[in-house]
Amino acid sequence: MTIDRLFVANRGEIAVRILRTAKALGLETVLGVSEADKGGLGAELADRAVVLGPAQAARSYLNVDLILHAAKATGCDALHPGYGFLSEKPELARRCAEEGIAFVGPRPETIEALGDKLSARRLAEAAEVPTVPGTDHIGEVARAREAAEEIGYPVVMKASAGGGGKGMFLARTPEELTASFTRASREAEAAFGDGRLYMERFVERARHVEVQVVGDGEGKVVHFGDRDCSVQRRYQKLIEEAQVTAMPAPVQQRMREAAVRLCAHAHYRNAGTVEFLYDMDREDFYFIEVNSRIQVEHPVSEEITGQDLIARQLSVAAGKGIGIAQDEVAFDGHALEVRINAEDPRNDFLPAPGRVTDWHPPEGEGIRLDSHMRAGDMIPPFYDSMVGKLIVRGRDREAAIEGMLGAIRDFRLEGVATTLRLAAYIIGHPDFRSGAFSTRWLEDRALPAFLNEE
Amino acid sequence: MGLKTSDIEALIRIFDESDWEEMHLEIGGEEVFLSKDPAARGPAAVATAASPQAAAMPAAPAAAGHAPAPPAHEEGGAPAHAGASAHEGWVAVTATNLGTFYKAPEPGAPPYVSVGDRVAPETEVCLIEVMKLFTTIRAGVAGTVREVCVEDAQMVEYGQTLMWIEPD
Repeated sequence: MTIDRLFVANRGEIAVRILRTAKALGLETVLGVSEADKGGLGAELADRAVVLGPAQAARSYLNVDLILHAAKATGCDALHPGYGFLSEKPELARRCAEEGIAFVGPRPETIEALGDKLSARRLAEAAEVPTVPGTDHIGEVARAREAAEEIGYPVVMKASAGGGGKGMFLARTPEELTASFTRASREAEAAFGDGRLYMERFVERARHVEVQVVGDGEGKVVHFGDRDCSVQRRYQKLIEEAQVTAMPAPVQQRMREAAVRLCAHAHYRNAGTVEFLYDMDREDFYFIEVNSRIQVEHPVSEEITGQDLIARQLSVAAGKGIGIAQDEVAFDGHALEVRINAEDPRNDFLPAPGRVTDWHPPEGEGIRLDSHMRAGDMIPPFYDSMVGKLIVRGRDREAAIEGMLGAIRDFRLEGVATTLRLAAYIIGHPDFRSGAFSTRWLEDRALPAFLNEE
Repeated sequence: MGLKTSDIEALIRIFDESDWEEMHLEIGGEEVFLSKDPAARGPAAVATAASPQAAAMPAAPAAAGHAPAPPAHEEGGAPAHAGASAHEGWVAVTATNLGTFYKAPEPGAPPYVSVGDRVAPETEVCLIEVMKLFTTIRAGVAGTVREVCVEDAQMVEYGQTLMWIEPD
């Protein structure tokens, strides 16, 4: 099929990002917005913007019926869900198929199979992709204690339907396990409507690494290298980079092959990310999950490959294939991405919505900004606080670090508190420069040091 | 589809700000002729019936020469939140969400309300449909219906004015 008119079912920087590629490809674009976003850059860029509902996401961006109705009534033949919101809801993918609208994402059954962590894990095992030693569902605390003895402490309990750290806890002793088990189950039930938990071995010094893939849905999968997203706070990524430099080359190559094997096995269609936990001590990687959508940090992979991943998504959604073979994907240089969140790191990362009075992003060789902000724009309090992503590419990691520090220095942004200064602190830190950090480094070391500095 | 007062007002405004001498617009069976020549008496040629395709095109945006909006599909495409002719003191009934506007409970049935009808706050005035789910919209105020701003079976956006009521 051909895609002529694309409905963009998202907001913020990713809506702008998708619209730019769609327009470059000559597609007509319709953006569904909430009342709060109707004056935004996305609405300006789209050929047409339709107001779905009021600001509350439940009555706009999260309402499948409204979005489908809008896409149909405006004559769209494809729908891009972006990330977050409905992007990984099998229902949207299924309903699009019923209405004859090409969903720019995986098949609904693929989203379902990958969205449930246990079934994803079974898929990984079937594709001979290594997983962290762990268990199936555990319903009661006594069974959890037995399992923990087998696996060996420390262990981590996770919500089966989870994500974002909800319903997740670490236990170093049987006492800690007993104390947290019931609460985690309740939290998972409240957050996801599913209180089931499972257990895994806890890796003491871990890196969060991931492989960017695009699959055509017929079993062909191409990877676009890997990323390191280990700088996290409460499981939220703050800084991402491509490629991974923390792994020995043969291990890195095996990880990429594992990601491709898993997605080929699942006949995965769409851009996707296979996330792995890298054990720095054992020099081994374990499968975590597949994110079956475009990700926030996709630009770093684009920067080092010169590829437009949104264009690849649209290509496979139209049934036209990936359009590139693995040996044609070349890697050049190193790229860093900083998420600019309107949050105050000095006030427990409290969201700081408000008006951006000054907005002068840096420009120059290797600098890219993905954002929907303009000077004078309001950051509404209803959605996540990310206002943009600053991406810098250099010939190597050191050059990218220097470039990013300069770019942040040149960034004039007034009116709201942001995480930009914290990002500069992290990137300039000797531990970050030397690569001596794990997923807990930011919370345990860098953040307290940053907060003590002034 | 019909031209609303607000559409015509918008056209006049655009024409006024332009350097065009005259504008002749046909939509469906309706014609608008605007000219800056005081001696003008009307369009030079009498229009023939417009093609059905043209009739399905959105009215104001196409004429306005703004960024080309994709032609709207089926329900037509009035610009969002057409202001309509708000008289002082009139109360707007607005769309509670995006959907399709229906003036009658079913095809062929008489409309819930027409211009000049008296309504109470609880009076049902129209339907908005989203993927086969119909929501009843009520007047919200006691008064008289002064204008219905949307054509039957047209897509409306959240907050769009559907009709104007002059309160008692």
